Amino acid sequence: MGSRFRGSSRSAVVLILAGSLVVSYLVSQQGVVLGRGIYRVGVSPDSPEIHDKRFSAMTLVPSKGYSMLNQKTIDLYLDGDKAALRNDARSLYAAGALKRYLERQELARIKDEYEIDRAFPLRVELNYIENVTMDQETSLRELLAPVTAKTPEPMEADSGALDESGARPTPRPRQSQQQETQRDSDSAVRQQIREMERGGRWPKIEMEFASDKEIIIPSLMTPPIPFAQVMIAFLYVLPVFFVSIFFTSSFMDEKTDGRIAVLMSAPVTPFEIIAGKMLPYATFSLASVMIITLLLKGNLLLAMAIFIPVLFFVFSIYLMVPLTYRTFRDTTFISMLAIVVITSYLVFPAMFSGVNDLCYISPLTLAVKMYRGEPFGPKEYLFSTVPMYLVFALSMYVGTRILNEEYLMRFRPLYRKVAEAIYLAIDRSHPNLSIMLLSLFLIPIVYMIQLVAVALSFNMPISYAVGGLLLATAMIEEMAKSVGIAVLLEKGVVSTPRHLLALSFLSAAGFLIGEKLLLYLSLTVVTESTLSAALFSYGMLLIPLTAHFAFTAIVCFTTRRSGVRYYPFAVFIGSTAHALYNLCVLGVIP
Amino acid sequence: MSTFYALVKKELRSVSREKTIMIAIIIQLFIASFSSVILTGLMSYYDPDSIAYSTRVGIKVGIVGDGGSPLMGLLTERNVDVATYPSPLDAENAFKLGTLDAVAFIPQDNGGPVDMKLFLPRSETRSTVILMILKEPLRRYEDTLRKNRGVQVKYSDLNGTPSTTYEFRYAFIVPLLLMFFPAFLAGSMVIDSVSQELEDHTLDTLWAAPLSLNQILGAKIVGGLFLSIVQGALWSLLLRVNGICIQNLGPVLLLAAVITAMIAVVSAFISACFRDRERSQFVYSLFMAISTGMSYFFGTSPITLMTRLATGDRYAGIADVATYGLVLLALLVAFFSVAERLIRMES
Repeated sequence: MGSRFRGSSRSAVVLILAGSLVVSYLVSQQGVVLGRGIYRVGVSPDSPEIHDKRFSAMTLVPSKGYSMLNQKTIDLYLDGDKAALRNDARSLYAAGALKRYLERQELARIKDEYEIDRAFPLRVELNYIENVTMDQETSLRELLAPVTAKTPEPMEADSGALDESGARPTPRPRQSQQQETQRDSDSAVRQQIREMERGGRWPKIEMEFASDKEIIIPSLMTPPIPFAQVMIAFLYVLPVFFVSIFFTSSFMDEKTDGRIAVLMSAPVTPFEIIAGKMLPYATFSLASVMIITLLLKGNLLLAMAIFIPVLFFVFSIYLMVPLTYRTFRDTTFISMLAIVVITSYLVFPAMFSGVNDLCYISPLTLAVKMYRGEPFGPKEYLFSTVPMYLVFALSMYVGTRILNEEYLMRFRPLYRKVAEAIYLAIDRSHPNLSIMLLSLFLIPIVYMIQLVAVALSFNMPISYAVGGLLLATAMIEEMAKSVGIAVLLEKGVVSTPRHLLALSFLSAAGFLIGEKLLLYLSLTVVTESTLSAALFSYGMLLIPLTAHFAFTAIVCFTTRRSGVRYYPFAVFIGSTAHALYNLCVLGVIP
Repeated sequence: MSTFYALVKKELRSVSREKTIMIAIIIQLFIASFSSVILTGLMSYYDPDSIAYSTRVGIKVGIVGDGGSPLMGLLTERNVDVATYPSPLDAENAFKLGTLDAVAFIPQDNGGPVDMKLFLPRSETRSTVILMILKEPLRRYEDTLRKNRGVQVKYSDLNGTPSTTYEFRYAFIVPLLLMFFPAFLAGSMVIDSVSQELEDHTLDTLWAAPLSLNQILGAKIVGGLFLSIVQGALWSLLLRVNGICIQNLGPVLLLAAVITAMIAVVSAFISACFRDRERSQFVYSLFMAISTGMSYFFGTSPITLMTRLATGDRYAGIADVATYGLVLLALLVAFFSVAERLIRMES
């Protein structure tokens, strides 16, 4: 990689890198202002000045200010302590933004003008308690015992009145304890005022989950970012993406200048070529994972266990890109698509960590758990990482099979390339076993695509979403089971109905084994998700096996009858039957 | 001129033949279909308070302590169900049974600081949402307490709509989708196309035809520009469907096109300098990162201008777009005067 930047270009790169460092420093110093000058406000001469870059403020005398407000040339007019606004969206948003800004200014003022007890009279102590388990952890009762013990006493109300007049002569024993907590909350107030003065406009990111007790002041409260996961995800995944783009590029380079052909004629196996090319880049990514973990003070071994499968997964996709595509432009586009898809696959589920157990499909959820110091079991680990390991294994295997000059250099449409790759991946001396294993190994991919389909369906009206989802998931499954057989049909390897029937059965069996394994894993992790029940058909083993077999056979025989060109049509027929069957299983159709 | 059109067409055809445009559209649809999820996710990242406005979750809070506190009324106003419990034990049982989302202990207001206690479930997402919903009533309670203690807070009656969603949409989402994405794609397309020809030495054969190098490069830039304009128009439609209206649509799209053209020129320059694709793409990404970062420091950056145009600011208009048009013109002149020499020099 280093040799790519030589001579004058190296100095340019250094210059640009230095520039980017300067920019990021400036950004970190000034903070990022979104929507600079988005609001236009007029202020009367006696109003406070507005020091917020979102507002372009101009000083206007009231008569001018009000008329400009009515002409909609300004969004809001601040007349001393009063703000005048219109009843349209733009003006209301400006008012909302200004209110927030002015509230902050007011806090700064009252903090200086009044003593802390009067300026910040309300302190809220947050306690987090388990609401499911009944174990002997800190219970609400114990936490409240010292304060509630006294509240019902009528005497306390009297003393409250005394307190107000400020004439409390002798503190009672309990009072000392209360003062203790007051001092606690006072120091919390002071600390939060300091934080506000430091200008913490950005909410703080809490890597570790809130400590058991925390005192918040409502007006000073900066809420924690609920999705720190996104932060972790980008921190870890971005360097991996960057490096894997270099990996793709270098593969493409060797492909275009023919060096790969030379390599292939040398006495090394395709596996050695791929592994050898991947190793340096994978090492780089691993190093970045380790450095980030050390910087964030995480558990190194655990982080590696979590991110190595992610890394494998990303690399397996970026391995397929240069193997299938021929031009740089295509690789760029496909890489971008891959980034979008992988990031959503990893990040979205992690956003729902704690809400739904399905979040475990993303290993990033495990990373979040790790940083919060929360435990997770080997089942959760397997649930999220096994699909990634399997995808990697599959793509490495396919990669070694299709690494030949003819395949790499020939220009053909994508679906032909895929068919070609599947044909090459099938071991021609053991077609039966190959078909079965193919169905089994396609499971993680099917599973991932189905999850993406679920995510997509969230955006549709619910009545369409359920129907569309049922058909889409059935289609994906039917395609996975029959694609290998269709390729064999096209190549003329299979011709007799009997062989076709046998292959359909084997494919269905392979798929079912994989599906049930996955189902077992997911049911042990996802306890009460109706989603998993909808996605993975259940019941006894025999009925689903027969069903799978029947649908695959429908697809295969339709393909055989009408020709491979009509394969999509055949898949559609098979999947419609499959979707109807699913509706029956779910009890929608009696 | 007809040769130039032919070149542009060739550029576009090569894109469509290789299905790249389809992929670009798939990306677009993919992102658009996620947009509501992405918006909620990103919004809560940018401004966690937004969860409270956007959520329709109803929560129920158990109250222990002062049942006559003004906080009770404030909570009910915010559609929070409140139920008073005589003892912590009762509240705890209700909480564990799942009938309560949180328990609050409100002490008597005796004139001193009020030390409340709030009990939340130990699930980060849930407790964050609950806390965000409770925040506003708590703040208003705090203001009530301040008033009781003789502290006057100004502007607390100013009524506006929470603005962060608005700002985020127009200052981030709109420029990102209408300007940054299309421009970024156009730039990397130009780089791929130029560096591929430089690496394959196909430019030499093209040269033999009665075409100037500038025409060839110009066609590549126009090809990228064309795709980005199509994309920008598509995005504005998708945004519309998602409920984000763009004011001054014409000037907004024009601005996006001008900026895209500027970036396409710069990327053509980069690929002419660095020649091989990998280095060009790398330098280009860094350039994009820096220029986007830099634009935050200028009051009149394209991003700001787009935000102001899209929100319908009366003080922004076509004249501001024209300024960038002039910059583009200068860039074009400069690029075409050196491009030929630059490429001939090294080949």
